[in-house]
Amino acid sequence: MDYARQTLADALAAQYVTGTLRGAARRRFETLLPGHPALRAAVADWQARLMPLTAVVVPEAPPTGTWAAIEARLWPAPTSASPAPWWRGLGLWRAASGLATVAAVGLGVLLANPPPQAPPVVVVLQGTEAGGPAVTTFVASVSGDGRALVARPVIPVALPTDRVLELWAVPPQGNPRSLGLVSAAGVTVIRREKLPHALLDNRNTAALAVSVEPPGGSPTGVPTGPVVFAGKLQL
Amino acid sequence: MTTAPEDWTQRSRDLAEALSRSALGDRGAFKRLYALSSGHLFAVILRIQRDRNLAEDLLQEVYVSAWKAAGSFDAQRAQPLTWLTHIARNKAIDSLRRAQTQPRTESIHPADDDDRPDASQRLVDETPGPAALLERASNARQLGHCMEGLTAQQRQSVALAFFDGLSHAEVAEQLRQPLGTVKSWVRRALMTLKSCLERAARGDAALGA
Repeated sequence: MDYARQTLADALAAQYVTGTLRGAARRRFETLLPGHPALRAAVADWQARLMPLTAVVVPEAPPTGTWAAIEARLWPAPTSASPAPWWRGLGLWRAASGLATVAAVGLGVLLANPPPQAPPVVVVLQGTEAGGPAVTTFVASVSGDGRALVARPVIPVALPTDRVLELWAVPPQGNPRSLGLVSAAGVTVIRREKLPHALLDNRNTAALAVSVEPPGGSPTGVPTGPVVFAGKLQL
Repeated sequence: MTTAPEDWTQRSRDLAEALSRSALGDRGAFKRLYALSSGHLFAVILRIQRDRNLAEDLLQEVYVSAWKAAGSFDAQRAQPLTWLTHIARNKAIDSLRRAQTQPRTESIHPADDDDRPDASQRLVDETPGPAALLERASNARQLGHCMEGLTAQQRQSVALAFFDGLSHAEVAEQLRQPLGTVKSWVRRALMTLKSCLERAARGDAALGA
């Protein structure tokens, strides 16, 4: 490669790594890479030069379910190996929504973009344990300004000392997303930045649920303990 | 909390081990790789692709690609976090092309925006702007020294392009400068950086000899 071509290759590699090489030029450049070691070397050099810049970007924890989703894409579980997880069973939702005491009122607020003076959204999560006290309910509501989700049990929930409650948003498909730990005795306020985008869009969330987990919450990113409360989202 | 350059190096060793074991099919090592790097990669993606749902999908794609390509990672030539960050940035930039999503393009230079006096203030309580990030990056030893050799305009152009994934045209629009001017700022900035870093590396080598 003569000097002029080398300079051009280096300039293209620089623009590629910086991100300013776009569109068809970027795609063309990428198709050249496998066959041109000099080009690859130039790209590697520019990566080494510029990527340390990203060290100053403040890390941001991805949503809880992300790792589970990656695992599911890489290593799909054999279909008959394990029983379907509880949130795929329709029976729960049928049972929950069949109860006259279950109410989902005032729904329709989009968290991401709350209209002015939006009414609060309240979801009542019914106790799911057959033997448990039928009156036990958990209430989750989105504050009127759309900036926080507030969850509390109507009656304090009795738990072993080494167990905590975790609140989940259950999508129509896929794994639940953790909304964080909630108090078994009082009010828990979950700030907007902890809530997934468009939580109350029914394409994203079919139901809210509360499960019993070890201290610190589910170690796997999906509910591990029994689900003690569940309420369907009806928009 | 930001990642200090020393942490970057230490983490690189842990990541290199996790990545090389992943290449052998070790799923546990790959999970460790995810734990060590996902926060950084998600933040890098989010700066470019601001739709959180899309950004999360992209993050999944990054790790799916990384698992499949782990065998091609060359620990002699590259740092693992550099390698992963490049995959993440690539996917984020490609997603802009697909979705035509507008990245945030609010003005970061106070002078010409008198009717929007809050533009620069808003950056204070939001995520830091690209210029602020670049200033922090300047703490990194040689890179910082070399960054100081750029003009303010060159620095700002590179910051907008690199951190926020803006194209030349978008940078030009943002800075209200002709496209050709911005292109030459970016080009000269990169060439200045390169020769400065190479000089610094030669200097280090001479000291070490």
